[in-house]
Amino acid sequence: MEKRTLIIYTVITLMGFIFAVMSGYSQEDVINVEDSAFEKKMRPAVPFLHDKHNETAGIDECNTCHHVYEDGKENEYDSSEDQECSECHTINKGDNSMSLVKIYHLQCKGCHQKKKAGPIMCSECHPR
Amino acid sequence: MHDIYNFVSGPLVWVSFIIFFGGSLYRLISMAVLARKKDVFVYEYMSLKFGLRSILHWIIPFGTVKWRKNPLFTIVTFTFHICIIFIPIFLSAHIILWKESWGISWWYISDTAADVLAIVVIASCIFFLVRRIVLPEVKYLTSISDYVILAIVAAPFITGFWTYHQWPGFKVMGIIHIVAGEIMLAAIPFTRLIHMIFFPFTRGYMGSEFGAIRHAKDW
Ligand code: HEC
Ligand code: HEC
Ligand code: HEC
Ligand code: HEC
Repeated sequence: MEKRTLIIYTVITLMGFIFAVMSGYSQEDVINVEDSAFEKKMRPAVPFLHDKHNETAGIDECNTCHHVYEDGKENEYDSSEDQECSECHTINKGDNSMSLVKIYHLQCKGCHQKKKAGPIMCSECHPR
Repeated sequence: MHDIYNFVSGPLVWVSFIIFFGGSLYRLISMAVLARKKDVFVYEYMSLKFGLRSILHWIIPFGTVKWRKNPLFTIVTFTFHICIIFIPIFLSAHIILWKESWGISWWYISDTAADVLAIVVIASCIFFLVRRIVLPEVKYLTSISDYVILAIVAAPFITGFWTYHQWPGFKVMGIIHIVAGEIMLAAIPFTRLIHMIFFPFTRGYMGSEFGAIRHAKDW
């Protein structure tokens, strides 16, 4: 292969790659769980392909996760996907954000344990 | 994997805690009864003042002649004992799990700090192992059970370190880590690890007898 063709190939592949990444971002697909309330992350980010996850897991209702409570009871007809979990589940004072970690773990890991499918160990959800 | 994980992180945790607390209580009570039967003076000699005085000297690094005679051993022993109690109680991952299960949480150390301390523990275990093999006077007193106990203590730290760094086989290693911790807890009452529970009483008694009866120091 000539030097020039090689350079052209490289440039085209690079542009294609950049385009793929950009379009991935522009669609704003959720690929990680990234709650803005965690200031400094201790563990690697949690990969979570939002739509694909819910499809393979067979979860039909958005409020299975994005729930709304009224008078201490879950409201089946309402959902809260326009809010981050931490907007309601605020970090307790002097709690080092453990209260927020807890509700994420209870929801994600809790269902996986119940269904006996999906990751349950730290390393599975926080891969390096 | 789910069934195994749920089992070792559920019922087995309770089993190990019950064996640890129940077994320790049983060993304490049976030792107290035995002491009463064999040697009534144990109770008469026991003195709070002299007992505490002796314990205080022994829990301070270089606070006794024995500690001063062997500086390297003393330093390793103290850091090792502090670390093996400190790490599991203040590890963020453990606190997260307690928070999820029992709703309790407290201050924790950073994962990096825990990492360094875990290396210190593993290195100490290697030091103890080499010491047993190399020093003739220690080797003479060593039996198989000493190596087994060393392995029981080292295992949770090696497997935990492995799992945290997600080295190959980390999922299985994670399960082994949980079981290793449970084995260590359950082994405490029924092996020489019982010194963790007996220490205040054995040392306290020595201090009492030396202090009140022989009017001598035991440090
Ligand atoms: C398995 C639990 C789960 C289910 C079911 C679920 N979501 Fe989500 N959703 C999440 C999580 C976790 C996030 C990420 C939150 C974060 O990063 O702060 C999220 C984020 C979102 C966001 C914000 C995206 C962004 O760019 O910030 C929207 C919108 C959303 N979900 C809509 C939906 C809709 C609509 C449904 C139902 C069709 C649904 N979700 C079902 C868990 C779930
Ligand atoms: C609109 C507010 C709101 C949003 C947004 C919300 N929650 Fe909740 N959540 C509640 C309320 C209220 C409760 C019930 C009271 C409680 O236990 O704190 C609750 C309960 C829970 C519980 C049970 C708590 C327990 O101790 O058993 C979990 C787990 C949970 N939420 C997880 C999540 C997750 C994960 C998200 C984000 C995907 C989320 N919640 C978003 C309001 C909200
Ligand atoms: C209502 C139940 C439920 C909830 C809530 C849930 N999951 Fe899942 N998840 C599943 C099931 C079921 C599977 C297994 C799907 C399969 O492979 O058959 C799964 C699989 C996964 C997988 C494997 C890869 C994949 O995408 O299929 C990941 C990663 C995952 N879940 C992350 C999460 C995270 C992070 C959360 C919390 C934000 C979460 N899950 C909440 C049910 C749930
Ligand atoms: C089922 C998936 C799942 C499992 C298993 C899991 N986590 Fe998480 N964890 C999450 C999600 C989702 C979040 C929220 C992440 C975010 O918003 O950045 C989270 C948040 C955290 C956070 C706070 C964010 C940070 O990085 O500081 C810590 C610490 C953490 N997890 C540690 C652990 C530990 C330790 C374990 C094992 C005992 C564990 N997790 C197991 C899903 C999981």
